[in-house]
Amino acid sequence: MPNTEEYNVNFFKPLSDHAKTNKKLISTLAIIWFFAVFGFQALLILFNEPTPEKAYTSFTAIWPSVVENQESSIQDKQILSRSVLSVLGKNIAVKDDHKNILKETLTWSVMTMLHDSLRDTFRSEPNKETFVAAASLIGLNNEGFDKIMVDLLPFSIVKASSDELNDDIKNALPDIMELYLVHNQNALTDFNFLGFPFHYWYTAQFLLILFVVLCLIYAVVIDRTNKKFNFVEES
Amino acid sequence: MSRYIKSLLSFLFLLLATNTLFAQSATQLEGEFKLGPAIILIILLITFVMVGIFNRAKDTSDYWAAGRKISPVGAGMAIASNWMSAASFLGMAAVMYGSGYHGLSYVVGWTGGYVLLLILMAGQIRRYGKYTAADFIGDRYYSKGLRGFGAGLAIFISFSYCVGQFAGIGLMFKWILGIDYTWAVLIGASVVLTYTLISGMLGVTKNMQIQYVIIIISFVIPLFILCYKFGYFAFFPQMGYGAVVSDVVNGIAPGKGITAMGHDFAILPSPEFAMPWDPATGQTAFQWIAICFSLMIGTAGLPHVIQRFYVVPRAHDARWSVVWGLFFICILYWSAPVYSAFGKILSASPEVGKLAKDAIVVYTAQLGDLFPLIIGFLAAGAVSAAFSTVSGLLVAGASAFSHDLYFKVINPDATEQKQMLMARLGTILMAAGVAVIALLNLGLIAQLVAVAFSLAGCTIFPLFLLGIWWSGSNRTGAWAGLFAGGGVSLIALIYFIVGKYGGGLPGQEFVSYYLNAWYFAWLGAPLAIIVNIVASKLSKNKTPVEIQKFLAEKVHNYKLTEK
Repeated sequence: MPNTEEYNVNFFKPLSDHAKTNKKLISTLAIIWFFAVFGFQALLILFNEPTPEKAYTSFTAIWPSVVENQESSIQDKQILSRSVLSVLGKNIAVKDDHKNILKETLTWSVMTMLHDSLRDTFRSEPNKETFVAAASLIGLNNEGFDKIMVDLLPFSIVKASSDELNDDIKNALPDIMELYLVHNQNALTDFNFLGFPFHYWYTAQFLLILFVVLCLIYAVVIDRTNKKFNFVEES
Repeated sequence: MSRYIKSLLSFLFLLLATNTLFAQSATQLEGEFKLGPAIILIILLITFVMVGIFNRAKDTSDYWAAGRKISPVGAGMAIASNWMSAASFLGMAAVMYGSGYHGLSYVVGWTGGYVLLLILMAGQIRRYGKYTAADFIGDRYYSKGLRGFGAGLAIFISFSYCVGQFAGIGLMFKWILGIDYTWAVLIGASVVLTYTLISGMLGVTKNMQIQYVIIIISFVIPLFILCYKFGYFAFFPQMGYGAVVSDVVNGIAPGKGITAMGHDFAILPSPEFAMPWDPATGQTAFQWIAICFSLMIGTAGLPHVIQRFYVVPRAHDARWSVVWGLFFICILYWSAPVYSAFGKILSASPEVGKLAKDAIVVYTAQLGDLFPLIIGFLAAGAVSAAFSTVSGLLVAGASAFSHDLYFKVINPDATEQKQMLMARLGTILMAAGVAVIALLNLGLIAQLVAVAFSLAGCTIFPLFLLGIWWSGSNRTGAWAGLFAGGGVSLIALIYFIVGKYGGGLPGQEFVSYYLNAWYFAWLGAPLAIIVNIVASKLSKNKTPVEIQKFLAEKVHNYKLTEK
């Protein structure tokens, strides 16, 4: 009966020189593969810092005064309106229930910039006149990002339900703004490489190149190893 | 093969030259009959069937393993085409469009798995010299029961993976021909079934090579035009789109161009598109890593992927076919994020409305105002991607049924003719079953496919890994590992289904998060491996010497040991 030990295949205990070379090659490539993929993501997790967009910083600066005094200054309402539009402009990223809260806030914010006697246009179904008035009240012009915000108004102004911002909205809005305007960023995301944010390039491009190179190296080296050890692979 | 490709390309260029004749429906986002794209699609469908007829399978070796005579580059193209499914062509850009950086876990997971597959399995699987995944399992673990179980798993995995593809076929047929989704699925299923039935793996592999060319050309051409049109580095769009991603992050003020719907090519700052695990996407770092890992090991456990190593003559060819295959795959995977980045900008205006994420690739081309025929070709490319994968899956599922269940377990004395009959019957049953489930239209394509990945990762991957690299892994260990991996899979799927229908089991939220149906293999696969090792060590039932000898000498070259 043959000695079974002679045929004991175990990756970690190779019995032939060919198997030892193979083990070394596979281990090296697997380690590179593992750390390149998961090590980099671990670095991102380690370095990530919650980083607010400018719109969020502006929002947090004026929000307390708006909550305490709903008749706060026009300038505060303009900042609030722009911040809310910054989130609504993210379009598909925003959940529908969040969009409704944002739209109500925007409408309230714009309407209360007017004197009570002039608010009727916002209390009925909004029309072109309403949108023009809203753009003017927020101080939007037709250039740069302002133009995008002007284009957003017909989809963002709704029929005003009250002159007061209700408690539900007051409670929900800060969290919604934080959700959409604060992002995980760090030196690896802020550094630009070949036009990409570096982390994006690394994951979407470099890792794929690395995978092809690792495969190429393995195929070439194992062919040479087989030749060296006279291992003829039968068909 | 080149004859087919040349005539196909000539006709397509002729169609492009007469583009103005068909210049219609450019900005129609919903399904209406589109003449130019319809002609392209019909030509492709006829081509696939003709290639099937010209490459009829003459015996079971042709039907299951293409007669083992495919070259490494040809096999690489077939691997890539087999791999690049509707999920790659449509679903990947859809996930990135909706969830930003999170979607890259699919890109990395679906490519990184090939490194594992190559260094740990490809050559060894070919040297072992079987026809199917279940064939290997049954032989290596000297168990008819495991062979049957493996065949059942292969059928189930191929089945669930296939469903996602039919959903993609239906989506594109609906868009091109304007026909009802039900009819789209039925027509698509009939065509792919016809050529698979006639030609088996032989014609399927030849078709895959043609389909690869169609997939890549149709996918990449629109990117050159989009980059050129909107002022990005068009010479190499896969690099040039870096600026598009940065522009999405920082915002683009109007002035760079106009979209098909008359909107500015502009967007407010949207860092959530590119920043890692943005809270707005609702996805976490754990999910990214778990999905990526699950897809990687799932890749190395999918029966229709493993089966591709049996169509080449030698182990050397199996290895090089992976290198070529991965390179060919990466060409598409480098390109897919470009669609999501452009799609994000082009659909930024609320006037565009909510788009079906699964079709964002085609919508992006439409909103970018590309030639209608190029968009049609793109949609036809999506159909090719789905067809190539479906045909590979049908052969994998059918061979598990006819070769592993019928021939090896039920009727070992079956004649060649009888085996062929059963192979074809299996193909028909698979296609019919999948089409019925596809008609239920269950959710995002990429996610449907991910279920198959986790399941393969939890069950088949550990059996192959240990079966190849440790002769101590025996039948008892294999069963124990299979139950452990299968158990985790079952728990994950039960919680998923209960959650889907609004129910709640103990720890529903916890399990739904940590053992989500899309990435439960992060736990299931390592557990199955550990259980397999422990049970094998504890068991008195040792691997038979002849199997150890075969493994050592034929698979690992131990006969040349200098001791």
